Amino acid sequence: MTSAQLEIQLIASLVAIACAIPGTFLVLRKMALISDAISHSILPGLVIGFFITHDLGSPLLIIMAALSGVITVVLVEFIQKTKLVKEDTAIGLVFPAMFSIGVILISKNANDIHLDTDVVLLGELAFAPFDRLLIDGMDFGPKSLWTIGVILLITLSLLFAFFKELKISTFDAGLATALGFSPVVLHYGLMSVASVTTVGAFDAVGAILVVALMIAPAATAYLLTDNLKKMLLLSVFFGVFSAISGYWLAHWLDASISGSMTTVLGMVFLLVYLFAPKRGLFSVLYRNKQQQVEVSLLTFLLHLNNHTEKSERHINHLNEHINWQKVRSKSVVDLALRNNMITIDKNIISLTEKGKSFTDKAIDYIITNDDSKIESIKEDFFLFRG
Amino acid sequence: MGKQKFAVTVDDLTVAYNYKPVLWDIDLAIPEGVLMAIVGPNGAGKSTLIKAILGIIDPIAGSVSIYGKPYKKQRKLVGYVPQKGSVDWDFPTTALDVVMMGTYGSLGWIKRPGKKEKKTALESLEKVGMLSFKDRQISQLSGGQQQRVFLARALAQDADIYFMDEPFQGVDATTEIAIINILKELRKKGKTVVVVHHDLQTVPEYFDWVTFLNVKKIATGPVKEIFNDDNLTKTYGINYKVSVQK
Repeated sequence: MTSAQLEIQLIASLVAIACAIPGTFLVLRKMALISDAISHSILPGLVIGFFITHDLGSPLLIIMAALSGVITVVLVEFIQKTKLVKEDTAIGLVFPAMFSIGVILISKNANDIHLDTDVVLLGELAFAPFDRLLIDGMDFGPKSLWTIGVILLITLSLLFAFFKELKISTFDAGLATALGFSPVVLHYGLMSVASVTTVGAFDAVGAILVVALMIAPAATAYLLTDNLKKMLLLSVFFGVFSAISGYWLAHWLDASISGSMTTVLGMVFLLVYLFAPKRGLFSVLYRNKQQQVEVSLLTFLLHLNNHTEKSERHINHLNEHINWQKVRSKSVVDLALRNNMITIDKNIISLTEKGKSFTDKAIDYIITNDDSKIESIKEDFFLFRG
Repeated sequence: MGKQKFAVTVDDLTVAYNYKPVLWDIDLAIPEGVLMAIVGPNGAGKSTLIKAILGIIDPIAGSVSIYGKPYKKQRKLVGYVPQKGSVDWDFPTTALDVVMMGTYGSLGWIKRPGKKEKKTALESLEKVGMLSFKDRQISQLSGGQQQRVFLARALAQDADIYFMDEPFQGVDATTEIAIINILKELRKKGKTVVVVHHDLQTVPEYFDWVTFLNVKKIATGPVKEIFNDDNLTKTYGINYKVSVQK
């Protein structure tokens, strides 16, 4: 691995961490789209900053760009408050306007600016190692490493200082206000961090992909944990993992680094979305199926409990009577047998002691409107789940 | 009765959403140590009144004082139970963590909760009978359990005045009794408790003070004196008959 390769991966990882932190809170606040708005609307700020300083590495650019990010949020909220258009419409109105101002400014001054729209949209991490921080002829490494490093440091210190405030204002803005933690201040604080981070990440991954770095790791982590701190750590992990493996994917494919990073992010999300133990698609489908069979089982047991006459308990009669298809009746009867809840003697089905006491308890809960508790007695009675 | 001390005083309070007043010129004095219900039809501004008192909504006119001083100076004296539906119960956190939030107010900015706060939170969970659920993710709790967690969070605020926005909404009978016992316990300790309440039948049984509200204040006073068909009819607009049981 060359030092340039190492530097690119280091920059990509820091960008990923810096994005994952505000991204987690944006996802929890159901504001994922606002990151899209910010990432596009920082452009006019960047361009104006560049006109003033003629230096792409100047901190003024970051400040100007962050400012236009915050202005976007203010505008969006102002339009929303009038209630004349819906929330997402307001976002859709503001950011293209801001972005197009940036695009026009660039194209009008194309000669004396080396920002071009492709780089703005997609970024180019591969060039990052060429733009170096030189002080008195000493090489202090790539400039973007320093930019994103400083931004990450600020983000981390704010996170450590205001973790509790961010948590409470995200979960319960009403109580936060009542306790004196102004959600407005925290909201704009978070938006400023998101804007500054976007500017820092912009260089590396461009306006479109920075959204993926903010949202995808947090959305993935959300499916895996019930704990905010773990969610932050997992987001960071997924971000860094995708950044590094994205880099090598790009290397292998000889393709765009930012594109490959985002592809990996998408794949990781897809895998977790499908296979997450509790909230994954398959486990949800499996649970629904299980529920369905178990409800059928209970219906079946209740029926047996209600009828002592043999004719009602004949296996063929049950098929017709409960009006289930053959396959379903068979799987229900099998499940009941495997759990020792019924016995079948000459095609007549009877409840066992265990089946009887399970059914009795379930009826108790149904009568008292405590259906949810049936779930917990299943643990005691079932050897096999549906 | 000697000179009464007021825990909360509301003067000429008017609140509007988009210039449409939802509360008109409310004057209200809540005596210390009462367990008070705020009743009124949907859209009467009951929640809005609580939110305006707590500074969550800015009124367009009027003022609020808690023991004679503005709310902002008295935050630590006030506990709040918002409506259960006002938060996202899928938020990645546990019951204990939510209750800990009650202690954030006394901590102030930046300082983090430590052992003392955790102890307070655990004790509050125990008071509402939820200690065994402390590590449960909040979406895994039933509606009644979530409401108890909210109540525990308010208890962790260790306040003198409590405002509760429909704490009985969507809870089963057992939880309702458990909650009202805790509220009566608070009153016994001299705390003032203000509850937005929907079930008129239980007002005489649960509360000793009542405020009728429908955009304007209709009446306020001891349940024994003012909880009658006349006030109910004025508040709800229809000829209201409630069998007031002893």
